Amino acid sequence: MKSSLKERIESSILQRILRLNQSTFYNNLRFRVNELLENKKNPYKRFLDYFIIFLILSSVFILIYEVNHKIPKWLDYYDIYFVSLIFFIEYLLRLWLSSNLMSDISKEYQQSIAIGKPFNIWKSLRAGLKKKFSYMITPAAIIDFLAILPAYRPLRVFRIFVLFRFLKLLRYTRSINQFVEVLASKRFELLTLLGLLFFVTLTGAIAIYILEDMRNPNIKNIFDAIYWSLVTITTVGYGDIAPISDMGRVIAMAIILFGIAMISFGTSVIVSAFSEKLNELKEERIIEEINKNREFLIVCGYGQMTKMFFRQSKPLYHSYIILEKDSQKVQEAIHDGYDAIVDDASRHETLRRFNIKGAKVTLLCMSHDDIENIYIILNAKSVDPRIRVIARASSPKLISKYERAGAEHILLPNQVAGTMMVTAILNPTIYKAIYAIFTGQNVALIDEIKVVEYSYLIKKEIGSIDLKKYKLILIGIKKEITKEFIFNPEDDVTIEEKDILLLMGHKANISYFREKSLSKNGDL
Amino acid sequence: MSRGRIIFFGYGKFGYSIANELVEKGAEVLLIVEDELEYQSSLKDSRFKRSFLIDVTDDDKLKTLPIELEDQLVCLMDDDHLNVFLVLSLKALFPRNRILALSDSIHATRKLKMAGASQVIDLYSISANRIHNILNKPIATHFLEGFLDSKHEYSFREIEIPKGSFLHEKNLDTIDFRHYKIIFIGMIDTELANSFIFVTTGLEHKLDSGDIIVCIGKDEDLDNFEDLISYQEEQKE
Repeated sequence: MKSSLKERIESSILQRILRLNQSTFYNNLRFRVNELLENKKNPYKRFLDYFIIFLILSSVFILIYEVNHKIPKWLDYYDIYFVSLIFFIEYLLRLWLSSNLMSDISKEYQQSIAIGKPFNIWKSLRAGLKKKFSYMITPAAIIDFLAILPAYRPLRVFRIFVLFRFLKLLRYTRSINQFVEVLASKRFELLTLLGLLFFVTLTGAIAIYILEDMRNPNIKNIFDAIYWSLVTITTVGYGDIAPISDMGRVIAMAIILFGIAMISFGTSVIVSAFSEKLNELKEERIIEEINKNREFLIVCGYGQMTKMFFRQSKPLYHSYIILEKDSQKVQEAIHDGYDAIVDDASRHETLRRFNIKGAKVTLLCMSHDDIENIYIILNAKSVDPRIRVIARASSPKLISKYERAGAEHILLPNQVAGTMMVTAILNPTIYKAIYAIFTGQNVALIDEIKVVEYSYLIKKEIGSIDLKKYKLILIGIKKEITKEFIFNPEDDVTIEEKDILLLMGHKANISYFREKSLSKNGDL
Repeated sequence: MSRGRIIFFGYGKFGYSIANELVEKGAEVLLIVEDELEYQSSLKDSRFKRSFLIDVTDDDKLKTLPIELEDQLVCLMDDDHLNVFLVLSLKALFPRNRILALSDSIHATRKLKMAGASQVIDLYSISANRIHNILNKPIATHFLEGFLDSKHEYSFREIEIPKGSFLHEKNLDTIDFRHYKIIFIGMIDTELANSFIFVTTGLEHKLDSGDIIVCIGKDEDLDNFEDLISYQEEQKE
């Protein structure tokens, strides 16, 4: 009878867990809470962060103010109940999210069923709770927990835990967080230093205690000796305790020298950690900035082609970032005034750092190495096929490979230069004209004019537009409906909304006509 | 079209394809190489008028080359430094010849011009420009690619107004080039050192026989136009 009751309880718990795990409401709720607390890209997270920061600062202010002043009752209640309650709820939510207990148990149950093994729910629960406990003993969780304690007023000592509320700021302010991360990166060096400090402090303390215990009235016990030793080694030297024997002074001199060496070492470790991490922090900021754009360029490599590309585009019409593996070249790019980071575009993780899903991204593969370019293209397309790729190829023989990899535009610098060279040799007279057209010089710019809504051009026939008045030549028209490009269209072709006119003329004339085309009446 | 020969220096990564394209288009090419392997490779191809294997840094050797005044000198050595040196030597030895050079380094272009090259094709400048066009003017780029790719969808053509053509003494304004499915983009001013004048600069001119106009269009339409303008009367279709 007893065993059947146990079985009933086990079965009831299991049923509830399985039901909860399949519940859309439960999973949605979990997802939303996770988004709010953990997803940095979630716009609402920012508001939650500001709210918690406000709670922390107001609570700390109240506790400090309270030391010497009387505070109104409602402020005390606000601190005890409201702030602490919010922190408590937050702690519970984080504990809930730390591991997925329901899903873990359900998976284990299904596995047991699949292999025909009897399922022990208590064992699974124990394993799940162990995971929760591992989270509870992480530094962040301990801080969160201790930050709730100042609410307990009967024990005044708990007010010291207000410091932990301050430490909670770590989670919510990025710069402090980064500071801790930087220190954590030098954990080994700092711990070694701390160990050494502990050892030398203790050695100095024992030595002074043995030598001056009976003679020095200020050193009454080993704690006094340790206190003196630490004050001396850190070069603070309050002077409330000082050695009186010669041997004591010798020890003081030795640990002062050691202290100076150690402080310098400690400082250098922290400074080097910062200088190492500084670039990384800067890069993260650059990526965050670029990810705010709806359209941007990722330029792979800072070689000659990239340099020329940037030289020709001041001011830049596009937001961009340069990815370069060689840190020296990155320094050169930064020196030239461009945003560049040290990263390898052929790595999946690199491209995933960018907001590929939410923005229109174009990748420029400028390297002269075809193998590298193709690898980068395939990597980009595997991250997201929507990434538009413009790539440089060294030979026409490789075009099929680039196309197969997914490049939308393939540029053959050698072929382009070769064609220009042949033209310059065989047709020297018109070479300048061709060159002017190809490089878009002011006198013979070929430009596109999109026919916008309300433009006076809509429903007009080509023949009825007096382009001679603007000294422009109509090269062709791209029809929006048929997507067809008509070279030198007939006079009776009608212009529709969103069609694109391809015109050649002086830059100023094209701008003038563009301005006119935007109006309802072309003769404005 | 230039009538002189082409004295071609270099048969390496750029020279090979360009020299062959020139020969295919009927140009007379004399090849000058410094590298034994390049020389052997050029001998295998009998299409070149002649091939010379010489040390291009030696002025005495350069002087012995059969270079005439109308010849164009094309410097396409693979090494940038050598290319600049060669341009400088050629400018000193043959100051009145047209010298063309290809620059495949952003630093070399200015040096080649300073050394005396009449025309420098800057590989990076042209290519970077193409990338800008792809990004900002996709339709214009697609159209311009029609001139470059192997199919040559469109061409530029210099057309001389023949004697007795109906276009003789006609004002440019009155000619409807669109009727011939071609676009008139400018003309060559023979009086002003053969300089090119774009129609977009507001060109007003009465045509004479012997004038050279430049048009773009499909090859068949351009051929057709050249054929039609040889008549005294405008042919009605």
